Amino acid sequence: MAAPQTPEQQELAELIVAALNLEGIEPQGIDPDAALFGSGLGLDSIDALELALEISKRYGVQLKADDEDNKRIFASLRALSDYVQQKRAA
Amino acid sequence: MNTFTAYVNGVSFWAPRLPGWQIAEPVLRGEAAAPLQPAPRPQPTLLGPTERRRAPDTVAIALEVAGRACESAGADPKELPSVFASTHGDLAISDYMSETLARTPTLISPIRFHNSVHNAAAGYWTIGTGCYEPYTALTAYEDTFGEGLLEALTQAACGDRAVLLVAYDIEARGPLATIVSSRGIVGAGVIVSPHARANSLARVLWRTRRGGQRTVAMDRNAELVEGNAMAACLPFFEALARTERRTVCVGLSPTLSLELAIDFPDAGQPDEG
Amino acid sequence: MTPLRITGHSIACPAGIGVPELASALRGSRSGLRPNDFGDSPLPTWIGRVPGVEAVALPGHLADWDCRNNRLAWLALTSDGFFEAAVAARARYGADRVALVMGTSTSSIGATEEAYRRLLPDGRYPEDLRRPIVHTPHSLGDFVRAALGLEGVAVTVATACSSSAKIFAQAERLIRLGLADAAIVGGVDSLCGSVLFGFNSLELVSPEPCRPFDRARRGISLGEAGGFALLERDGEGGPWLLGYGESSDAHHMSSPHPEGFGARLAIQGALTRAELTPDAIDYINLHGTASQKNDEVEARLVADMFPARTLASSTKGWTGHTLGAAGIVEAVITFLAMDTGLVPGTLNARELDPACGPQIRIDNQSAEVRFALSNSFGFGGSNCSLLFGKARRE
Repeated sequence: MAAPQTPEQQELAELIVAALNLEGIEPQGIDPDAALFGSGLGLDSIDALELALEISKRYGVQLKADDEDNKRIFASLRALSDYVQQKRAA
Repeated sequence: MNTFTAYVNGVSFWAPRLPGWQIAEPVLRGEAAAPLQPAPRPQPTLLGPTERRRAPDTVAIALEVAGRACESAGADPKELPSVFASTHGDLAISDYMSETLARTPTLISPIRFHNSVHNAAAGYWTIGTGCYEPYTALTAYEDTFGEGLLEALTQAACGDRAVLLVAYDIEARGPLATIVSSRGIVGAGVIVSPHARANSLARVLWRTRRGGQRTVAMDRNAELVEGNAMAACLPFFEALARTERRTVCVGLSPTLSLELAIDFPDAGQPDEG
Repeated sequence: MTPLRITGHSIACPAGIGVPELASALRGSRSGLRPNDFGDSPLPTWIGRVPGVEAVALPGHLADWDCRNNRLAWLALTSDGFFEAAVAARARYGADRVALVMGTSTSSIGATEEAYRRLLPDGRYPEDLRRPIVHTPHSLGDFVRAALGLEGVAVTVATACSSSAKIFAQAERLIRLGLADAAIVGGVDSLCGSVLFGFNSLELVSPEPCRPFDRARRGISLGEAGGFALLERDGEGGPWLLGYGESSDAHHMSSPHPEGFGARLAIQGALTRAELTPDAIDYINLHGTASQKNDEVEARLVADMFPARTLASSTKGWTGHTLGAAGIVEAVITFLAMDTGLVPGTLNARELDPACGPQIRIDNQSAEVRFALSNSFGFGGSNCSLLFGKARRE
């Protein structure tokens, strides 16, 4: 049974679904620990760029393609949300 | 000047009040009324989920008519070179790009940008169908349909094989709409080949001719695609919808036309070409 | 196919306006790239910009088509005696018997971008930009048609980076069928916000001058250019178009097929059409954009398909990636190599990627080039390879 989403995770899930036009996906239904890329939601590198753009517009947090930590940051909704919240607080 | 013979082996059409060739054909022939309610934009079911969610209106309509033309011909998309013809390309994305560049240029959406190329629909089509055959994407302003058809017929004659033509235009948005007039959505497809098939729709004897002759569509039909930049395709499809022979002229440039003598040899007769 | 002679050609690109200037830049290894100075808030990158485009004044009767892209087109059209050659061809064959096939990716979109920056309070375009023909992609083809007074086939091809290579193939088919007796083909693409900020959004743009095939390459440098070629069944001089191959990658809009499947089909198609085998090819002008993926795929493909003696290079270190004009620019560079025996290397590359075989060279070479290929592999998976020959194969 997937862990329930925190309010920050839910907001981010809604952003992801809207930004990438993920039809048929309920934001609240995204398992915070499921993979975003490859399997799971099946996002690709262009989606990563689009998400980075939307995240920068909404939260003012920059994500760069050549950031070595990207695999970790984008690994799951939880990981991405934690990163965004951490950078916002900084 | 040389005259060539080609066969129309597949056809498709889509406009909100002519949603599909099955509905369009009797309407264009004057035997049925067009539906009163406009149909919603078709979904590009051919595409995988990643491409489908990214596909803008132009891609949706182009893939709809491309797929239906192949179905009607019983043709495998993988085997067809294609010609994609659009007067203005994706006008909604052009509006988005110019608007965003005017305000926040560093915040251009990568997905919208990569959909902004004139060959986006052609790219999505070949990706969606796994087709390695070449495509082209072209425009010739008011003569886009004519030049697209000429290119498809030329490729078919040179390659001695069937070629798919996809023509489409959508409506203009934003400030661009004060300059470029195109309303609604029109998509149309044909598969042309030097070889007849048992179910060929029509035979076309074609040639180019000097002068600016253009066949005009019937008023009642023109109203159904009124103001769309691809409305010039209508006379050709009107002729295909009929059963008696017709000659249609489509513009290639302000001083040149493509003359198409369309007739309907009996089904089952062998290729006389 | 019908072999066609290229009896005239012209160029206006960041490394030179006119063929002699370009030849000098190639010989002297002088890049035409510069730090980005285009627009109000230029991104920190390097670009290939053609000097003097802004100062070009179109003749009065062509005022309707005025915009930066068409000024660049005019600059290329009036270089190298091309305008005169085109007019002479028109007289020789008849205005309706010379086909016009132009290639571009963004055409005059820069004019639309400008209009949006300068909208009137009521949301309309400023008066000077209220000319519909410059706010549609056929702006380029229509301008050249009007400028040359041509009355035959006139069309604009927009298949991203393969546009002004595919125009050669399209022209050959028209002539082969007798729909035209000659063709003017050309490609023009100019710097604009759409490409600079668009490619930037895809993180494909390098912060330094592009280094094609270099193991430490960091992406593309965008460029602008215009070029033309006159194709006839025969003529007094010039190289020959002997073959072409076209294909689709069927893979992804902005990444090439990882095994170069479509690219291989295009190259093979050109060889087959020209009835030549890979060992006949003296030089390949590679697509070589300096993007991670294109160069890796193309390097492996060349190493696999061609013998060690075939020289290969990317010349985008001189011009940048000129997108819809890349095909014609690199065809003209290939003609120069054939004409002078100076084979350009891969400018800006310092240490080649290990994927490269012996073919790809960094330095300029001296060699006779009898047969050459030019590759253009586009966004959206559109591939075109052109095969040129110094002489028509008997």
